[in-house]
Amino acid sequence: MKYIKKDLKEGIKLHLINTNKFKTNLFAIYLAVPLEKETATSNALLTAVLKRGTANLQSQELISKKLEEMYGASSDFGVDKNGDMQVIKFYLETINEQFLPEKENLNVKAIDLLLDFVFNPLIENDCFKKEYVDSERNNLKQIIEAKKDNKIRYSLDRCIEEMYKGKPYGNYKYGCIEDLEKIDEKSLYDQYKKVIAEAKIDIFCSGENINVEENIINRLNNINGRKVNVVVDNELDSKEVKNIEEKMQVSQGKLVIGLKIDSNLENHKFISSVYNAILGGGANSKLFQNVREKEGLAYSAGSNFVRVKDSIFIRCGIEIDKYNKALETIKEQLEDIKNGNFTEEDMNSAKKLITSSMKSIAEEQDTEITYYYGQDLSGEYNSLEEYIEKINKVTRNEVVELSKNIKINTIYFLRD
Amino acid sequence: MKLIESSLIKEKAYIEKLENGLTVIIIPKNNTNKKYIIWGTHFGSIDNKFIVPDTGEEVSIPDGVAHFLEHKMFEQQNGTNSLDTLMALGLDANAYTTNDHTAYLFECTDNFYEGLDELMDYVQNPYFTDQNVEKEKNIIAQEIKMYDDDPAWQLYMRTMECLYKENPVKIDIAGTVESISKITPDVLYKCYNTFYHPSNMVLTVCGDFNPENLLEEIKKRLVKKESAGEIKRLYPEKENKINKEMSEKKMGVSTPIFMIGYQDSELQSKDIVKKHIAIEILLNMLLGESSDLYKELYDNGILLAKPDLEYEFSQTYAHILISGQSKDPKTIYSKLKEKVNEYKNSGLNDEHFERIKKKIYGDYVTEYNSVANIARMFMADKFKGINSFDYIEEFKTVNKKYVQEVLNSVFKDERMVISIVY
Repeated sequence: MKYIKKDLKEGIKLHLINTNKFKTNLFAIYLAVPLEKETATSNALLTAVLKRGTANLQSQELISKKLEEMYGASSDFGVDKNGDMQVIKFYLETINEQFLPEKENLNVKAIDLLLDFVFNPLIENDCFKKEYVDSERNNLKQIIEAKKDNKIRYSLDRCIEEMYKGKPYGNYKYGCIEDLEKIDEKSLYDQYKKVIAEAKIDIFCSGENINVEENIINRLNNINGRKVNVVVDNELDSKEVKNIEEKMQVSQGKLVIGLKIDSNLENHKFISSVYNAILGGGANSKLFQNVREKEGLAYSAGSNFVRVKDSIFIRCGIEIDKYNKALETIKEQLEDIKNGNFTEEDMNSAKKLITSSMKSIAEEQDTEITYYYGQDLSGEYNSLEEYIEKINKVTRNEVVELSKNIKINTIYFLRD
Repeated sequence: MKLIESSLIKEKAYIEKLENGLTVIIIPKNNTNKKYIIWGTHFGSIDNKFIVPDTGEEVSIPDGVAHFLEHKMFEQQNGTNSLDTLMALGLDANAYTTNDHTAYLFECTDNFYEGLDELMDYVQNPYFTDQNVEKEKNIIAQEIKMYDDDPAWQLYMRTMECLYKENPVKIDIAGTVESISKITPDVLYKCYNTFYHPSNMVLTVCGDFNPENLLEEIKKRLVKKESAGEIKRLYPEKENKINKEMSEKKMGVSTPIFMIGYQDSELQSKDIVKKHIAIEILLNMLLGESSDLYKELYDNGILLAKPDLEYEFSQTYAHILISGQSKDPKTIYSKLKEKVNEYKNSGLNDEHFERIKKKIYGDYVTEYNSVANIARMFMADKFKGINSFDYIEEFKTVNKKYVQEVLNSVFKDERMVISIVY
């Protein structure tokens, strides 16, 4: 594997990942803009409308035909929240040409089509097509409404919203229904022009012998460079723990606890990652062993670390009347780490958990792209090997030291 | 070892049937760090009546035994749990039970042989006691209740209920709280001894290995067992009509979910791979993203995304499943019925057929991107008597005439059902 990053213009980068691990080549374009309440919904809707038609292929039917013709190339568009940035993602995956029954240049077709989706959409009278905007507005409305269907996901989203209330990170990546009604085909096109002019743009090509660099550079001729603004707002003012309880028809209660890490330690992100793995990383973690196995309070118990936000979210599915006992047991685990009550074995199994998932990153094309993108967005760069090395260097003392600066910020409970 | 290969996608597989009857399949991939091993037994939830090979005794077991057995396999006599042991090695370990098989697996980058020690040890050494079986009943009862709350699982079970009157595929894989209460260590040992015999099992590994060396490592870890005769499974007669056309259930989802089924009257035929390819082509011609019907449904807001299209089959059942989310599933049902009849009457469009064929080829090739996918596919296909490469190799032999025949014989109005969860 070889990874090369090139600046095409200010704020526009090309990332080439040369790998022979896959039967497919994957192309991706990411547009990143600050996540703001005012534009989040528009950007989500924009993503959906762009998939409906390009100037060359004006309907979904024509696009689908084209993709099928390209041996079932698949496209995938979506929005993501990466720290305080909203990232609009466009993907196109094709079969690597050496596995085709007949020779054909699929790479050029693929990158052309992907660039068309993003930079050459279907426009009528300085607007997006009304029919597409209307139908995608309805679809997005259903997606936002469906947020409540998955109770596990929903409780995490709600805890984040409460913990980061009024902050960029507190916004839902799909926006909200109230704002959706205000958007029309004209205002959406204006927002599109703004995004294209201001977003941080990253183009990824992953696969073997792709050779489409020329095509990409030519297509970006009329796109200007831009000053990119990557927002990081990690200040939380709340001094007291926020307690939020919400009621819904559930048979199992969902407890989510947001922790905030405030640390000046060098490499504190790597220490936090090890801390999180000890706390709730897997079947050997303190949460799983104590909350689930020992006390039998939960079917699921674990935690995840949000690197860009220096936050950890503990998540448990518990019997509703065992709330107090569960909370107490979780707090005991946090205290335990502070007091150094964990073994060398806990350290090792935590590191193993992280490093083995790091070693798997290059085995999935989209995961690998996401990794390099995350590194780029955060302004640091660690190769996978360097990352693993830094994890392995974390010491027991550093974990204890860090744990003193970790505080519960928000306790969210979904119950019946 | 016997070598099979696919020149089109440049992959090879080595197959060996060992003396004790165990089938080992090794798919070497030297450009990956990931290793995946899966060891399965041809014993699933539908195998609830059978004849024990050495005694000739006919046995009926409570519903949910295969799944119960899967849960109990991890527990060791020395008090440890093999799942924890594997996870502590940094391996991603798991197990699952389906209608027709049970499998134990792990995925890793390092510590493969340490994991192999543990995997082969626990699968070959069951430890069931009155006490640990009783304890498990509570845990599984919790799991059954969790699935009772799961709209997608309820949808599937209700579709099976529509399709079949007697077939055991309609029984919940985990059984019921009542049925599992009857499970004893004795039942578990009887099933273990019958179905976990090497001759009824397939072990598949994919990753960067020398096949001969790996085979030796596997052989070293095998417990010696006497060879056994064939297990006779007793399934009800093939069903010639559906049980009921429709099922509806209210569960409070934001948009209804639906599953449309077609019962296939013909069970596993000789050219099953060809037939499977033909069905996938047809489903994509009918409801794929470039189809007229999909366009119409999408434009009217009835479908938001392409439905899941699947053909499920074993020795005792075969059906097509089309599922998705929609505010108006009944319209999809009636429009699909119309479209099938239109295709039957006017024939398939040449250009559309060739295009979808290309798409399906691409889908098959993409399956070979992950070691997990490859290993699982070779094992599951082996239980069905299929060599997975055949999907790539037989592809060119599937022509429009054959696909049209499959359309006429499989997609029948009177074999169609729908289940909806609101």
